[in-house]
Amino acid sequence: MELTGKELWTLIHGMGLGAVFLLAFGGGMAGLWSLRSRLVTEEGIAERTPRLLIGTAVMAVVAWFTVIVGTWIVYPWYRAAPPEGLDRAVQSDALKEFPRYWLLAGERTAEWHQFGMEWKEHVAFLAPFLATAVAVAVIYYGGTLIHRGDVRRGMLVFFTLAFASAGIAGLFGALITKAAPII
Amino acid sequence: MQTPETVQTKPNGPVAAVFLAAGIGSFVMGLMVVLAVISADINNFLKFDANFGLGSGVGPLSGKGIMAILAFLLSWVVLHLALRGKEVKFGTFLVIALALVAGGFLLTFPPVFEIFHAE
Repeated sequence: MELTGKELWTLIHGMGLGAVFLLAFGGGMAGLWSLRSRLVTEEGIAERTPRLLIGTAVMAVVAWFTVIVGTWIVYPWYRAAPPEGLDRAVQSDALKEFPRYWLLAGERTAEWHQFGMEWKEHVAFLAPFLATAVAVAVIYYGGTLIHRGDVRRGMLVFFTLAFASAGIAGLFGALITKAAPII
Repeated sequence: MQTPETVQTKPNGPVAAVFLAAGIGSFVMGLMVVLAVISADINNFLKFDANFGLGSGVGPLSGKGIMAILAFLLSWVVLHLALRGKEVKFGTFLVIALALVAGGFLLTFPPVFEIFHAE
């Protein structure tokens, strides 16, 4: 049982950073949702503000790392071109080392690239922007955020959209890796 | 006792700035995707890995991503400087930001950007 360097980076990108992102989203969302003056006391605000700050900040940082690692480390292995002479139209064992071309060689697998990867690689970039906006709002307002219902509601929408874009990318990443793993 | 409505908080300008900047970054990502589909020249220019040494083997995604990140960061700085210390109508900024984010989602969706493929 061993992992190649490529498998390790794919694991860090998808399972490691992805899992932390999900956990941070859960914590941040719960904190934001319940941050209403009729639900928490002053002591409650003081107690949960650091947790909210950590949850949203971690989510933003992890979103940036996930996109950077995914784009500049893992993605080049996915889209690497096979050498001249290797038939790109047949899903051979040799072509398996070139996931993008292996997927495109099969009628039943081509859509994983043409739809799945094409969507994933682009929509993922929205997550760090949206998550950063939310984290900045928490850092800026801290516990007084409870008195800014307009901002808090906007943050809930942005936070959910950040999760949606990362979720789309993560889901297709997992499914594409299952269909054509980077080896 | 202070009610939530009467409590003074910091002006919301800096938060409106980063929300709008996130919308701009998102929309620019979608725009880059469409421009790369429309024009082979733009698609080649966006290969920042080959053109500017920013990565290796990433292709046009390197340029699309960097352009979107730059749009986010630069617009954030400009908007922050313009809105710091100001109380703005946050709802208006949020609606504009959400429209830009929706544009970003839409233009990065393959069935949408494939419409722009030159036949």
